[in-house]
Amino acid sequence: MTPPLIGLLPFGLVCGVAAQALGASVWGALGMSAIIFSGAAQIVAAQLITEEAPIAVIVLTCFVVGMRLMMYSAAMAPHLKPLPARWRNVLAFVLTDQAFAAAIRRFRNSGDTRNGASYFLGTGVLLWMTWQLSNLAGYWLGNVIPAAWSLDFVVPLCFLALLVPALEDGPTRIAALASAVAVIALDALPMRLSLVCAGLIGIAAGLLTESRTAR
Amino acid sequence: MSAALALWIVIGAVGGLTYLSRLSFIALFARWEMPSFVARALRFVPAAMLTAIVVPAVALRGTDAVDPALAEAKLVAAFVAALVAWRTRSPTATMTLGMVTLWLAQWLLRGAA
Repeated sequence: MTPPLIGLLPFGLVCGVAAQALGASVWGALGMSAIIFSGAAQIVAAQLITEEAPIAVIVLTCFVVGMRLMMYSAAMAPHLKPLPARWRNVLAFVLTDQAFAAAIRRFRNSGDTRNGASYFLGTGVLLWMTWQLSNLAGYWLGNVIPAAWSLDFVVPLCFLALLVPALEDGPTRIAALASAVAVIALDALPMRLSLVCAGLIGIAAGLLTESRTAR
Repeated sequence: MSAALALWIVIGAVGGLTYLSRLSFIALFARWEMPSFVARALRFVPAAMLTAIVVPAVALRGTDAVDPALAEAKLVAAFVAALVAWRTRSPTATMTLGMVTLWLAQWLLRGAA
């Protein structure tokens, strides 16, 4: 679990710096990281608040940026179904890119609800705590890591480490390839819609490939 | 409206909507049966979504448009990291060797220029 935690640090610092730059109090900054708990949404919100965008625009944009979470939610749903509703509600709160990528692997490899759910909860809580600490560090200290080190590159590297094992067969590889092409081609779309569109295109490509090879 | 109040309204609304996005299908499919095509589609979520996150961060020039050495070094580092991830399946090794490659490649690309 350590690697996703390390990958989170530079991102959290950036979010803390953004909260400080928009003039939020320390409680406002902590409110953003603790309640929103999504780096992409926090950055976008901070940016739009600074630009004095209307609140409705800020909320809508952050919602669109966070739409990928619905896909994670759908993928997690069958694994969490046997759990009591209150545990599902708790686990949903710690569903992030990192926790999803790590926990979905555990659920599949172990095939055991209790094992997967405990791992998901542990990962999620650790990520949440690390997120608060790194956001606070960014808020108080500014960007302590020199930009020339490009430490933020740890974030895509971490996702790459989780992506490679997910390319388990032909259809999943086609899904990834289609998603890669789509995300570049659709880069000009507003509100980071390219992310969720590329995801859907990749999934469709995977499904199509699978149904062809099955025939 | 004070700036602090506006910020808390944003925190409440965005926080609430983000949580509802997270809960959406977890809650929905706990009550209703999942359509079979959705069930088949789910196994492609990690491959498709992680790719959509990784590729722009590696291949698209964002803030480093002014620094071609960094942009090229990122491509090289991602390639090496993908190989390491494939051979070792270790996130720690992938991240460590990826970063070392990034720094080395930048240094070499700058030196050659």
